Amino acid sequence: MTGALLELDSVSKTFTRGGLFSRTQVEAVIDVSFRLEAAKPEIFSIIGESGSGKSTLARIILALQTPTRGVARFKGRDLATLRDGADRHAFMAAVQPVFQNPFEAFNPLKRLDRYLYATCQRFAGAKTETAMQEGADKALRQVGLSLAEVKGRYPHELSGGQLQRVAIARALASGPSLLIADEPVSMVDASLRASIVNLFRKLRDELGLSIIYITHDLATAYSISDRIIIMQKGQVVESGDARTILADPKHPYSRTLKESVLEPLAPGERPLFAR
Amino acid sequence: MFVVLRDLLRYNGEFLAGILMTGVVVAMALLSFVSPYPPLDQFVAPMDVPPSAAHWFGTTSRGQDLFWLLTYSIRNTLAFGLLVAILSRILSLSIGLLAGYRGGWVDRVLMSINDTFIVIPLFPILVLFYFVMRDNMSWVMLAVLTALLGWSYDARLIRSVALSLRHREFTQTAVFSGMRTHEILSREHLPFVLPIVFSTSLNNMNWSIGLEVTLAVLGFTDINRPSVGGMIYWANQHSAVVAGVWWWIAFPVGLVVMLFIGLYLLAISMNEYIDPRSRLERGGGRKE
Amino acid sequence: MSAAMRNPAAKPETADGPVVAVRDLRAWYRLRLFGVDREVKAVDGITFEVRKDEIYGLAGESSSGKSTLVKTIAGAMRPPLEIVGGEIQFSFMDGTMGLNRAPADLVERVRWRHLSYVMQGSMSVLNPVRRIGTSFFDFAFRHMGLDKAGFEAAVVAHLARVNLPASVLKAYPHELSGGMRQRVTIALATICRPQFIIADEPTTALDVVVQKDVLAMFRSIQREMASSVLFVTHDMGVHAHLTDRLGIMYAGRLVEEARTPDVFARPRHPYTRHLIHSLPRIGDDRPRSGLEGTPPSLANPPSGCRFHPRCAFATERCRVEVPPMEQVAPDHRVACFEKDRVEATP
Ligand SMILES: Nc1ncnc2c1ncn2[C@@H]1O[C@H](COP(=O)(O)OP(=O)(O)O)[C@@H](O)[C@H]1O
Ligand SMILES: Nc1ncnc2c1ncn2[C@@H]1O[C@H](COP(=O)(O)OP(=O)(O)O)[C@@H](O)[C@H]1O
Ligand SMILES: [Mg+2]
Ligand SMILES: [Mg+2]
Repeated sequence: MTGALLELDSVSKTFTRGGLFSRTQVEAVIDVSFRLEAAKPEIFSIIGESGSGKSTLARIILALQTPTRGVARFKGRDLATLRDGADRHAFMAAVQPVFQNPFEAFNPLKRLDRYLYATCQRFAGAKTETAMQEGADKALRQVGLSLAEVKGRYPHELSGGQLQRVAIARALASGPSLLIADEPVSMVDASLRASIVNLFRKLRDELGLSIIYITHDLATAYSISDRIIIMQKGQVVESGDARTILADPKHPYSRTLKESVLEPLAPGERPLFAR
Repeated sequence: MFVVLRDLLRYNGEFLAGILMTGVVVAMALLSFVSPYPPLDQFVAPMDVPPSAAHWFGTTSRGQDLFWLLTYSIRNTLAFGLLVAILSRILSLSIGLLAGYRGGWVDRVLMSINDTFIVIPLFPILVLFYFVMRDNMSWVMLAVLTALLGWSYDARLIRSVALSLRHREFTQTAVFSGMRTHEILSREHLPFVLPIVFSTSLNNMNWSIGLEVTLAVLGFTDINRPSVGGMIYWANQHSAVVAGVWWWIAFPVGLVVMLFIGLYLLAISMNEYIDPRSRLERGGGRKE
Repeated sequence: MSAAMRNPAAKPETADGPVVAVRDLRAWYRLRLFGVDREVKAVDGITFEVRKDEIYGLAGESSSGKSTLVKTIAGAMRPPLEIVGGEIQFSFMDGTMGLNRAPADLVERVRWRHLSYVMQGSMSVLNPVRRIGTSFFDFAFRHMGLDKAGFEAAVVAHLARVNLPASVLKAYPHELSGGMRQRVTIALATICRPQFIIADEPTTALDVVVQKDVLAMFRSIQREMASSVLFVTHDMGVHAHLTDRLGIMYAGRLVEEARTPDVFARPRHPYTRHLIHSLPRIGDDRPRSGLEGTPPSLANPPSGCRFHPRCAFATERCRVEVPPMEQVAPDHRVACFEKDRVEATP
C-alpha cells in the first residue's frame, strides 16, 4: 500500500429504493478501481453523463457513504472504518470537497468568512482571531482573492466565479492533500470556466495537490487532466491518459460523448443544427 | 425584518387587522398592572351592576369589577399560551431539526415517538392529570403538560424543512468546515425554519389557550387563579345567563374570541409571507 | 379597447416584419432597503429585433442581464423589476409595451399560442402537486382544438421528440430527474407550436448527449412552423451550432450582434473576442485565460463603456462616453470606439 494517496479497489455501491413491497435496486457504481500516487500529484478526471455514478463515487471518496462491496483507502486507511470523532476529523482535514453550484455552496443567510475561519480553526489549528484571519487570507490569496474582498460579505454580494474561488479557498484552508471537485464548472460561463480550470492547474503545480475533477465537460477535462476515467451507468468504460483517450476514444460510449460536445466550428465546418 | 413588517402592514389587511386585535388584547393584559383592585378580592364593588361609566364592563355577582378582573384573566391566559408556545417550540425545534438532519435511525426513532404523541388523545389525559393532582395542579404544570402534548405536529413540519436543508450543498460545506452537529443545527438550519416557527407558534397559542379555556370552563383547572375560562366557570356557577347578568359571560367570551381571530389572522398573513407561491401572486404577477 | 386588442390574432401579420422589436429597453430592479434605494440596471438601453423564421441567440456571462431581458419581453416581470423606458412591439399584437400592462385575458390568449417561455430553472412552472399530464391539460388543451383522445396522442407523440416516455404524464414533478423536468418544460412550451418561443438556458442542466437531442428538436420545430426562437445560453458552443444570429450582452447592454458565423469569425468587440478565445477545444493545448478584473456591479456600473475597466483596448474616451451601437457590415452591429483596432489585432 505504500505510496498510494487514494486507492479504490473494486468499489461498488447499490442503492435500494422503494418501500417494503416494491423494492428496486440501483447499481450506482460497479467495480471501480483506480489509484492516485502520493508522490505524483495529478488531476484525475471522472467523466460521464448524469446518473452515471460520479457523485456517488465522490461521496464514497469523501467517506460520506460506504461502498456496498470493495474497499476505498486513503493513505492506506480503509474509509469504511472511519468513525465519528478524531479519525474523521483528521480525514476531513486531508480530503476536502468543492461543489457544483457556487451559489448553493454557502448558506445564503450567513457571512462567507465564517466558513473560512471555522475551517482554519478546526483543521489548521488557528487559535486566535488573528491567526484565523491570517489563515483565511492566505487561502484566499492562493485563489487570487484576499480577505479584504470577502470579509463580512454575504454570498449574494459576490459573483458566481468569486464564490467558486471562495469555495476552493475554504477547501484549501485546512491544508488538504486531495481535493474532490464535483462538477465545479458546470454552472459558470466559459470565461470563468477557464479561470477556475487554470486555478486547478496552478494548485497542482504549486501546492502539489491532487485533484479529482468530476465533469461532463470534455473540453476542460482535456485541457487540464493527467488521467481520466469515463463512466457509463456506474461502470468504467475507458480509462488512461487523458490526451490519448480524448483524442481518439475507443469505446462507443466515449465516442458518443465526444461527438455530442458542441465546440465552436472550425472554418468550413457546418453547424449541426443549421436551418 | 423591519421592511417586511412595514410591507405587511401596508399591503396586507389581514396582518393589520390581526395586529390591531391582538394589540387590544395585549393592552388589556398590560392594564392589569395598574388595576385599582387586587385580583382575588371579592365584594369590593356593588354586585350585578350592568356596564356603566363607573364600571365599564359591569360587575359580577361576587362583587368584582369585570373590566379589571378581565385584565388579570387575560394576562394569565396569555402567559399560559406563551409559556406553552415557548416550551413546545423548544421541543419541536430540537427534535424536528435533529431528526431531519441526522436522518436514518435517529429520524425513525424520533418520528415514531412523534407519531405516538400525535395520536394520544390529549383532552382525557389532561382531565386525568387533574384528578390525580387535584390541588397540586398549578398553571405552570398544566402548561408543561400541554407543551409536552403540543409539539408533535410542528416537529414534523420542521423536520421536513430540515430534511431538504440536509441535502443542500451548504450543509456539506459546513460539515467540511469542521462544524459540529449542534452548530449546524443552530447556526445553519435554524434561520431557515424561524419564519415557520413564528407562524406555527401563533397557531399553537390559539390551540393551547382554547384548551385551557375549555378545561377552565369545566372546572378542571385551578379555579382561584383568574383566567378567562375561570371567569366563565364562575359565571355559570352563579347562573349568570339565567339571572340576566349577560355581561359576565359576554365580555370574557368576546375578548377571547378577539384574541383567537387576531392570532389566526397574524398566522395566515405570516404564512402568506412565508409561502413563496402565494407571495408571487400577491406581488402582482400572474400565474403561468 | 380596439378590436385588435380583443383578438390578438386579428392583427394582420406583416410579411417579413420582425416577430418582436425591442427599442431602447430599460428594465431595472428597484430595491428599497432600510430607506435606501438601490437600482440594479440589469437591462439598460437594449435595441434589437427577432425576425420571422430564425433562431436568435443571446450570450453573455452570468449576471449580464440575459434573463432579465427575456423576462421583460415575455411579460413575466415581477417586482422589484420595472420597465423604466423603451418599447417592445410584437407582430401578433398591438401596443408598444408588449405583454406588460396588457389586460390579463389578452395575455392569457397570447401565451402558449403565440408566445411561450421556458424559464431558467425547470421546477418553477410545474405545479408540484399536479401530475405532469394534468399540467399539459391545463396549459395546452384549450389551445389545441383536439378531443381528449387526440390531445393525449399528440402529447405523447410530442414527448417522444424530447425522448420522454408516455409514463411521465402520470408522474409528479419531484419524481423526475432535473434533466427530465427540463425536457418536460420544453415540451410544454413547444406543444402548441407558438410563433415565438423564448427559451432561457433550456439545456444548461442537461447532459451533452441529451442536449444534442433537445437542440435538434428546437431546430426542427422552428423549421416546421417557420417560427422564431429567442435562445439564451452562456454556452458559446451551443450558439455556434444552433443560432442564426447572435447578440452578445455585457453588463446590461448589447455590445455586439451579427450572424452567428460572423461573430465567431470576425468579432469586433473586445469582450466578444475574449469570449471566443477563451473557449477550450479537445485537441487544442493552447492555454486559455479567464477575464481579468471583477465583474461589473449593475447597481453602480462603470461610466462610459461598461467593459472599459477590463478592456485591453480602452482609451480615455471609453471611460467617459458610451459607445453607440453602430452598423459595421450587413447584419453586424458593434458598440465599441476601438472596433477597427480590435479587428486589426490578430
Ligand atoms: N441516496 C440515493 N438513493 C437512491 N439512489 C441514488 C442515491 N444517490 C444516487 N442514486 C442513484 O444512483 C445513480 C447515480 O447517481 P449519481 O452518483 O448522482 O450520478 P452522477 O453524479 O453521475 O449524475 C442514479 O441513478 C441515482 O438515481
Ligand atoms: N429579483 C431580483 N432582485 C434584484 N436583483 C436581481 C434580481 N434578479 C436578478 N437580479 C440582478 O440582475 C442582474 C442580472 O441578472 P440576470 O438577468 O439573472 O442575469 P443572467 O441571466 O445574464 O445571468 C444581476 O446582477 C442580478 O443580481
Ligand atoms: Mg452528480
Ligand atoms: Mg439567467
